[in-house]
Formats: sequence, structure tokens, C-alpha cells
Amino acid sequence: MVSNYEKNYELIGHLLRRASFGANKKEIEIYAQKGYSKTVEELLYPSNTNSMPLDLIRRHHPEQSAGFESAGTACNWLYNMVTTSDPLTEKIILFWHNIFATGYSKVTIGKVLFDQLKMFKLYGMGNFKNLLIKLSQDPAMIHWLDNHDNHKGAINENYGRELLELFSMGVGNYSEDDIKECSRAFTGWTLQNLEYSKELAIRNSIWPYGKISWRYEYNEKDHDNDTKTFLGETGNFNGEDIIEIICKQPATANFLSRHLYNFFVADEPPVPQWPYIAPKDPKAIEILSKAYFESNYDIKHMLNVLFNSNFFKSDNCRYAKIKSPVDMVAGIIRLTKEFESPKTEILERNFQMIFMGQELLNPPSVEGWHQGTEWINTGSLTERLNFASKQITNISNPGTKSIIQNIIKENQDVNDPKEIINHCLEELGYINLSDNSLNVLNEFIGLDKNNNKITEKNIKNLLKLIVSAPEFQKV
Amino acid sequence: MISVTKSTSPIVEYHNTIGLCTMEGRGFMFPVDTAFDSNGYIYTINRGHKADPRTIRITKYNIHSEFFGTFLSYGNNDGQLLTPSSIAIDKNNNIYTCDELTSTVTIFDSNGKFINKWGHKGKGKSDLDGPTSIIFDQNEDIYISDQYNHRIQKFTNEGKFLLSFGSYGNNNSQLNLPWGISIDNNNNIFVANWRNNRIEKFSDDGKFIAQFGNYGNKEGELNRPSSVVVDNKEYIYVADWGNERIQIYDNKGIYISQIRGQATVSKWAQEFLDSNLEEASARSKANLKPDISQFNNDPHEESSHIEEFFWGPTSVKIHKNKLYVTESNRHRVQIYNILT
Repeated sequence: MVSNYEKNYELIGHLLRRASFGANKKEIEIYAQKGYSKTVEELLYPSNTNSMPLDLIRRHHPEQSAGFESAGTACNWLYNMVTTSDPLTEKIILFWHNIFATGYSKVTIGKVLFDQLKMFKLYGMGNFKNLLIKLSQDPAMIHWLDNHDNHKGAINENYGRELLELFSMGVGNYSEDDIKECSRAFTGWTLQNLEYSKELAIRNSIWPYGKISWRYEYNEKDHDNDTKTFLGETGNFNGEDIIEIICKQPATANFLSRHLYNFFVADEPPVPQWPYIAPKDPKAIEILSKAYFESNYDIKHMLNVLFNSNFFKSDNCRYAKIKSPVDMVAGIIRLTKEFESPKTEILERNFQMIFMGQELLNPPSVEGWHQGTEWINTGSLTERLNFASKQITNISNPGTKSIIQNIIKENQDVNDPKEIINHCLEELGYINLSDNSLNVLNEFIGLDKNNNKITEKNIKNLLKLIVSAPEFQKV
Repeated sequence: MISVTKSTSPIVEYHNTIGLCTMEGRGFMFPVDTAFDSNGYIYTINRGHKADPRTIRITKYNIHSEFFGTFLSYGNNDGQLLTPSSIAIDKNNNIYTCDELTSTVTIFDSNGKFINKWGHKGKGKSDLDGPTSIIFDQNEDIYISDQYNHRIQKFTNEGKFLLSFGSYGNNNSQLNLPWGISIDNNNNIFVANWRNNRIEKFSDDGKFIAQFGNYGNKEGELNRPSSVVVDNKEYIYVADWGNERIQIYDNKGIYISQIRGQATVSKWAQEFLDSNLEEASARSKANLKPDISQFNNDPHEESSHIEEFFWGPTSVKIHKNKLYVTESNRHRVQIYNILT
């Protein structure tokens, strides 16, 4: 028997805004019949993982097939986000992309970034140690942080420093010597065809026949095999040993937990401020850190604990995060079901995210994108409102058509504006609006003067206002 | 007809490669199809990428890699295309092109001057939805692969509807997102039945004759075939797009052999390298044929690393006893002598 609490549509709507890209009324109601806990389980262990078939995409988009530049790969990813039946995996890829932020501006091959996303998909919800090993062997990351220039006897600290500072432990939990020793352990972790790959990347060369993909290579001759001392332990460490030591640090558990909290629960300050500003909810970090160790660093277990926690389900964290541009665009597209097959408009949707301030595969720095209110400025807000209101009223989108038809059908005999507004909010995913926003909608609704009934025009105007409301800018 | 045997003698022999990846001018950007006029000119149509409309064009050249310019631009006006998919040339050397998005046929003269445009998008009898291949028969009538309507449409060269055949499904004669089509010397129509992983053979009035192929990556098996062509001796060449190879069958669909690609540095590519010495130097030391075993038997992955392999073979055409393979992802045309 599923309890009333478990069937709570608004709670499930909250979960699906965070662990997915939102959901429509029908989807929420189907999940509600199963209950909240079962919904979390299905998100973590989906029974099917369908999305738009890759062969279909490649046939219609050779630029995506060839992984030529970043837009093709970003569009390919957007197709997955908006068509997948396994949205949490896409959300986790986005989570890692924001932390292990790797950019096309330096990598210059879309295919290599596609491979990195594929790696996040395979390992992003598994064991954190395995993920860090794969990350350290990822060709895009090796080039992005210059580990191919990290040689025995002539270390380049770039990767070693970011591995500790941004990818695992955070500033204040290691010394400069640890960075050097860490870097020594990763010497020889490089790329095949290094000289040619670097030359083509530096020139962003497409010649003679497009781009050639990259492959990881371990160069034993260039690896520093001498003894190293790292975080108090001494041995002839290779990269895997360093990651083993990193993963058992409480600082790593706290750092990863705070990242998960920041992404899924509530906005935290930017990462550089973390050493100086305490977490918003230290107890939540403690709970997640405990989950990290009790599961031997398993990300999926941490997510299970997070989504079932009181701090996540609390009313206080509903609409407590600003939607990222990806959340906004992918969420609207999933509602409107614009892409049931490949269409050239996917390029414009990618541009839309860029205009709102988030260019996938081209983060502003190694820190990724800052979350929270930094997403909103006068320019980006205008883009958000224009995009959302245009798409949600475009009835050539099957999802939009269905939403409007449902609202008309449900309100044929209804002339109470509040009830009509409520139906609209339900259709868009059981959205909760403030009294202030509801008052604006009430004032605006303007039913047909002749029969006091709702018209398609009324509904479109209402939908435009709802997606322009402050609450719709949040998750 | 299931392919089971393999010939020991080669059917084709590598001749040369033409191409260079360029945004505009001499070269290609995501080329998808190639056609030939009676004056020795070759025309390759580039699907390009709308993020950079310059890339959408037809490149005119000859077998000796002499370049004669480009024409066609991005757009929806006369003489423009949005998503070029295919090209064919009539006996007067007029060039017929299909636009997948607008579902139209646009005709140019051999100098690239716009002549006419016909066709409209829809599901009705004479409509098109995503035309993806165009060919002429000996009477100068036109067959078009009507992708999203899962059928083949026949028109006069002025666009008057003549007949239609094929329907959506997986049974004999049924189609699922057909791609390339061709016609043999006996006026039989061959269709690359893309999503059904097989080749269909129809008479010129649309009667089903035969089919061969089934899904897989073993010899003779197909993974999303994109194009098919038949030579004078009735050997059938199939662009096995998902397996990144060309497979050759006899006239009964019995597998004979396959090629994976042997591209060399084209004349245009060599001229680029001659004037970009740093790249040429780094390239000369690179291993462009890395160990194939590290790519987990994934043809797409293999071709993304091994430069000589076909990558995105979207069209096979035969002209003067040579096989032309247009590769969208490698921006070139590989040419093979037919030895049969």
C-alpha cells in the first residue's frame, strides 16, 4: 500500500525536477501511483534506458557522427537529455561535466569530448575511485590539463593540482609537496600519436580529412618509478595508488558530498569559497559522507541516501535552486516533446543555452559554471522568458498540443479562474506558485466575455505567464 | 538470399582518393553523394552544417583532381538547399538535387545556374518526405527514395508523378527509412533498406523481386546500408554504413568480398601538407594505423582513429568502370578500379 505521503505529486515533481529535467502531469501521476521511494529506485535502476537511437542521429547529422566540433557533440548530448528514459544518468553526466570541466576551446575535437561524456555515463554513478582512474586516463582531460607534458624528471603539476583542488579534496587538505608527488605518480599517462595530436589541436586543424580521434597510452619509459610520499604515505606510487589514497580521505568524502548537495539540493557558494564558508547544511554533508564510506565510495548509494533524505524532501529546499540553462532548455523540450526524431532545430536549442549563459563542452574555466543566482542577469532572463514562452505555446510541438488539449478538455465546464490556473500548473509538472504569482495569473486570465469559458488563446497566455514566473526559473 | 561464400580473387583495386576537408572552395564538408556528367566532370554534393552555411555546396572537379568551382548555397529560396541529400545528372548534363528538409528537387545546369524546383512535403500520393536519393532510368524518368514515407516515388523529370511502391514494415518488399537507390542495366531498382538492414530489388514498375542481407557485422551481414550500386556484370556493391565498409555480392546476393578503405593522401591534401610543414612533419611521425584490437570491434570507433578506413560511407556510384565511395565523415571520395 503506497501511503498518501509517498503519492504526493508535488514531492515527486520536486524529485523529478532535480533528478531529471522535470516531468509533465501524466508522468508525475504514473510515478505517484508507485510512490516516492519506488520512483527513486526507478531513477537509480531504470528498467529501460531508451533514447533517440544513435544511428538515426548519425544518419541525419554527419557533424555529430564525425564529432567535428563542440556544437555537434553538445547537440548529440541534448538529444539524449530530452529523449532519454534514464534522465538521472544524463543529469549525472552534467554533474561531472561541471566538476571535471573540460573545454573544447583547448581540446578542439568534439569526438574526444563525446568519449569523455560516454565515460561519465559508464562510470559516473559507480565507484568514485574507478571514476577518477578513468578520468586520469581520459584523452580530453589529459590534453585539457597538460598531463601529456608531465614527464619523468620534468613534472607539469597542472593535472595533479586540479585532481586534488577541484576534483577530489579541495584546498586546505594537502600540501604543495603533495601536489608535486601526485604529479610524479601520473608521469607517463599520456596520448598515442602525441606530437601529431597536439599539433592538430593547437591549430584546430581539420586537414586533410577531418579530425582523428585520440587514445590514452601509458608510457612506462616516461613514468617516474622512484619512491614518493603523498598525504603521509610513502611508496613507489603510480596514479592508481594516488587515487586510492585520495579516496580514503575524509576531505574527499566531504568535498564530493558538498558537490552533490550543491547540484541536487541547494545552491552553495562557488567552490573557491568552500574552505572559508561552512556548508549550508553540515548535517547533510555528514550523512552523505557516511554514505560514501559505508558503500566503499559508491556514487549511486550516495544518491539513494540523498534523494530519500529529509533534507532533500524538505519543503525548504523546493524551488531553492536556480535552473541552469541546460535545466531550462532540456526541461521545456521534454515538456513540449519537440524532438521525437532528428531535426536541424537542435542546433538552435544549443544556441539557446549558450545565449542563457551555458555553452556545454565549453565551460568558462576549470571550475565549471557557478550555480545559483549567477545564472540570472537581465540578458539571460530575457532569453529564458522568450524561449520558454515561445516553445510552450507552439502547438506544432506534440507535447504542447497535448498540454493545451488536456487543459481545454478538463475545463470545458469550468469557469472558476483558480481551478483553470491550477490545471495549467498541474500540466506543467505540479508547479507551486507563490500567492503573488497566482494573483497575477488571476488578474490576467480574462475568460471569454460571451460565455465566461476558457479559450485556447487564454490557455496559451496563461502558460506564457507561468513559464515566466519566478518559481519556474527555479527547480 | 543469404550471403554465405567468399571469393578469393579481388573484385576491386584501390585507385586514388580525391578530397580535402574545407569549409568552402576546393574540397568537401560532409559530402553525401556524387554524380558524373558526360563531359568528364564529377559533382559531389556536401550536406555541410548549417552552423556554417558556406559548407553547404556542390563541388565540381574531375578524376585528375582538377577543381572547377562550387555552386549552391544555404537557404530556402530558388537555387538554395537546407539539407542536401543526393545528386543525379540527366542526359543534358542538368544536375538534380534533393533537399531532405524541404522535400524538394532543385535543378541546376552544369554551370550551377538554377533552372527549376519541384516537389512538396507531405504524405500524399505525389508528396515527398525527406527525399534521400535520386536516380534516372534510361527514359530519363526519376526515382526518389522517399525516406519518411518509406517508399520509392517515380516522377518524370519535370516532376509529374508516375508511380509509387514500397510501404512501411519489415516484411518482403517493405521498407523502413530507405536511403540510397540505384538502377541496373535491366532497369531493376535496388534499394538500401536502411533500418531493415537489407537490400531490396524491384522491377521498374515496383514489383518486388528479391532481397538479401540481415543484421550483423560478419561477412555479408549488414548494419544500416546507406547505398547500393550494380556494375555491368551484375555485381552488387553495398555501402554497409554502420559497419563502415563496402561489401560486394553477386547478382543473387551471395557475399563475395569487402573493403574497409585504403585512402591515401589526395592531391589536394598533399598540396595542403606541402604548405603546412609543421603539420606535415608531425604527421610523418604519427601512426595513422593504430592497433585495431583496442577499439572493441566498434567500426565507428575504428574509423575515427584509422584514417585510411571508410568513415561514413554514404554513397557508392559506378562510372567508367570505377567505384566511387563518398565518405561523409572523412570529407573525401575513395576511387577503386572494378576488375570484373
